[in-house]
Amino acid sequence: MRKMQKVKSPFIAWFAVIALMYLKYSVMADAAPICSYGQATCHVPSLADLFDRVIQQSSRMHGISTDLHSEFDHYLPSKNFIGKQRCHTYAILTPDDKEKAQRLGREQLTEVILRLLMAWGDPLSQLHWSMSQDQNQDFNQYRSNKALEISDIVRELKDGVIKVAERMKRLGLNGNFVSYISPENVDPFSAISFYKRGELNSVDHQDLLYCFRRDSHKVKTYLRILKCSTFPTLDC
Amino acid sequence: DKPKLTSCRSPEKETFTCWWQPGHDGGLPTTYALYYLKDNSDTIYECPDYHTAGENSCFFNKNDTSVWVNYNITVVATNALGSNFSDPEDVDVAYIVQPHTPENVTVNVMEDKGWPFLRVSWESPHKADIRSGWITLIYELRVKLEGEEEWEEHHAGQQKMFNIFSIRSGSTYLVQVRCKPDHGFWSEWSSTTYVKVPEYFFRERSLWILVMIFSSFTLIILLWIVHMNSHSLKHCLLPPVPGPKIKGFDQQIFKNGRSDEILSALMVPNFPPTKSSNYEDLLVEYLEVYVSEEQELILEESKDSCLKSDSSTCDSDSGRGSCDSHTLLTDKCGEAKRERRASGEDSGMTIESQKGWEEEALSYTQEDVATPDVSSRRVKTWPSVFSTVPQYTTSPLDQKTSLELSKQHCLSDTLFPPGSSTKEVLGPNYWEFDLSNKQSHLPQPQTHGSQQLQAHSDVNISYTGNKQVPALLQLPGFKSTEYVEVQKVNQEDMVILQPVESDNCGRDEECPHVLQGEDYSKVKGVGSDNLLLLQSGVKARMGDEMEANGVSESCYTSSSFATTQKHIDSMHSATIPGQEEPIRATTGYVDTTTMFTLPMY
Repeated sequence: MRKMQKVKSPFIAWFAVIALMYLKYSVMADAAPICSYGQATCHVPSLADLFDRVIQQSSRMHGISTDLHSEFDHYLPSKNFIGKQRCHTYAILTPDDKEKAQRLGREQLTEVILRLLMAWGDPLSQLHWSMSQDQNQDFNQYRSNKALEISDIVRELKDGVIKVAERMKRLGLNGNFVSYISPENVDPFSAISFYKRGELNSVDHQDLLYCFRRDSHKVKTYLRILKCSTFPTLDC
Repeated sequence: DKPKLTSCRSPEKETFTCWWQPGHDGGLPTTYALYYLKDNSDTIYECPDYHTAGENSCFFNKNDTSVWVNYNITVVATNALGSNFSDPEDVDVAYIVQPHTPENVTVNVMEDKGWPFLRVSWESPHKADIRSGWITLIYELRVKLEGEEEWEEHHAGQQKMFNIFSIRSGSTYLVQVRCKPDHGFWSEWSSTTYVKVPEYFFRERSLWILVMIFSSFTLIILLWIVHMNSHSLKHCLLPPVPGPKIKGFDQQIFKNGRSDEILSALMVPNFPPTKSSNYEDLLVEYLEVYVSEEQELILEESKDSCLKSDSSTCDSDSGRGSCDSHTLLTDKCGEAKRERRASGEDSGMTIESQKGWEEEALSYTQEDVATPDVSSRRVKTWPSVFSTVPQYTTSPLDQKTSLELSKQHCLSDTLFPPGSSTKEVLGPNYWEFDLSNKQSHLPQPQTHGSQQLQAHSDVNISYTGNKQVPALLQLPGFKSTEYVEVQKVNQEDMVILQPVESDNCGRDEECPHVLQGEDYSKVKGVGSDNLLLLQSGVKARMGDEMEANGVSESCYTSSSFATTQKHIDSMHSATIPGQEEPIRATTGYVDTTTMFTLPMY
């Protein structure tokens, strides 16, 4: 047995070396980023590509939020929010007009976007958690998955927008951009406490989703305006 | 009844319009008012514009429109009876966008490598601000053939141009386009654009041309092949009708192209007598000529003698060949042949007629004197021929018997030295072909010639049977050992030869005389001057000058056939008529140099 082991060990060592070599090369092959534009430096996507990616994500985010919200609409009547704000992001001043949005400028627009995205990070995870806790398993499973997906997307989108803003700043497009967001709206508890203190029920879900749907639409629209003002291509 | 807000729409997300439906007003004039609350504030606003959008509508212009703001709208109907409130509706402009239809829809027929396709292009509704990105529109178009009911829809995304392939030439198409914001309502279909696709034969024509060229090439090749093989095809499709064949008729005659042969062939249609009964008729008429085998003289049958068409009256009864035919020699030839046949019969000649002929040959008793016509010919002794005949009576002959009979007369074709024989057409019965055959057959194997010889004999025999036989045919049949004895020379310059038969010596008074010596002169031929060429006897005369050829000497013994014998070449010609020349009669030889007055024995 010992002899066998002795004989085996060098083989194993060689095998490991070969396997590592193979993996290294394969990983190297996979590690190379894919550049759809065939540029020389494939590692750095262009600003236009970044914008496209971000817009795609925002569009997807909005789509899911709309789906989720539409489900709730069938079952529960909307609350009457007369007299008070419905969404916790009411404090974020967002342009509600095309002209207003255009007047904001790139930096502020980017800031608004980021604020919105950051404001929704936690509430969405709370939503997801709350949905998963619901008793009606079948119905909520689909929703909780969607909520999870949305929270992921929001997180990624936020990172992407930050990258876009930084790139723009590097290119001189975003002079005054400040990547640091004031922490006033970043209170995790305050955000969700806006809707309800304690645990959220399904009614709360609906309100939350209503607000999120709107804000996602805002983000999507602002991003497009940002892109079209920066790159007036055929898509705009 | 209370009114009802039916719908609110914003075409570009900057303004919007709401319509309501008035309830039953009971016939009383009723006024309607629209009030709204913005985004959960307490301030009530009334519709700023009731007229722009038409009746029962409220138009919100840009100043009054806020996107992402919840409008709580209520319509109030007021009449004399009172007022009625509609149910409030929440409206968010961002979600009620329904753009106008796309504008400037143009359809062009374009060509891609010969194939036509439709290129549809349009523009966004002018009010929708896509340029700034405020609205994102996606488009959709539909196409259908004129006269059909089903539309073919295509999703165009955000592009403003679309290609439709796979269209039919020569037909009219209807195209419509509509648009929708990424989240909103579809616009109405644009007004129909008609497009007529012209007839496109380009591609189809080239295809047809290709097909036609290819098929024409194939056709040409097929025709060529057929033409090349037309002959075989004819045989295959239209097999040649077997023509009538005459039994015993050799096609070769015609192929050889000798007129004499052809004539003779044609002339004796009935020729080969297939029944022995005919032979009996012939029997009577033939003289028997006995020719000893020892003396195998090659008798050249003179054409004249053999082919003489003169009918000779042969008195078959008499032992002497009373046939005064000048073709005596030819008759002899014939008989010789017959004899040969007879002898050959033992060897298994397959022709029955041969037997008869043999008899006929036996019956042949007389020979006539060679006529002067034969002068040019040399008379060959048959016996040599005969002796060798049996050897050659082989099966091949069978096939040819009838033919040869019909066409070959006195044989000795092979016996003739090449070039010695002259062809003379003596008459219709002249069987030129014999000689021609002789010559033609000379290069052929001996057997062939012998066959001919036999045939000759046969022919001769049958011929006499028909009594149409020229004197030629009335040749006495010769046995292999038959000799011809020159009897006399009659006044007609005919050498009367008497066949000497050892067995039948009794018939001839002069028989014993004849048989005295071993040496007999063989009648070689008839010289040009009516000379009977005789060949002195073989054995003792080897060196005789009369023997022209040593070769010929040797020819006597059977091998005389050998063909190129020149038996006669230097034979001395003996003038037949009237000349008396010393004849050595002591030994029974007839000196060829001497005339024949014939040793009359």
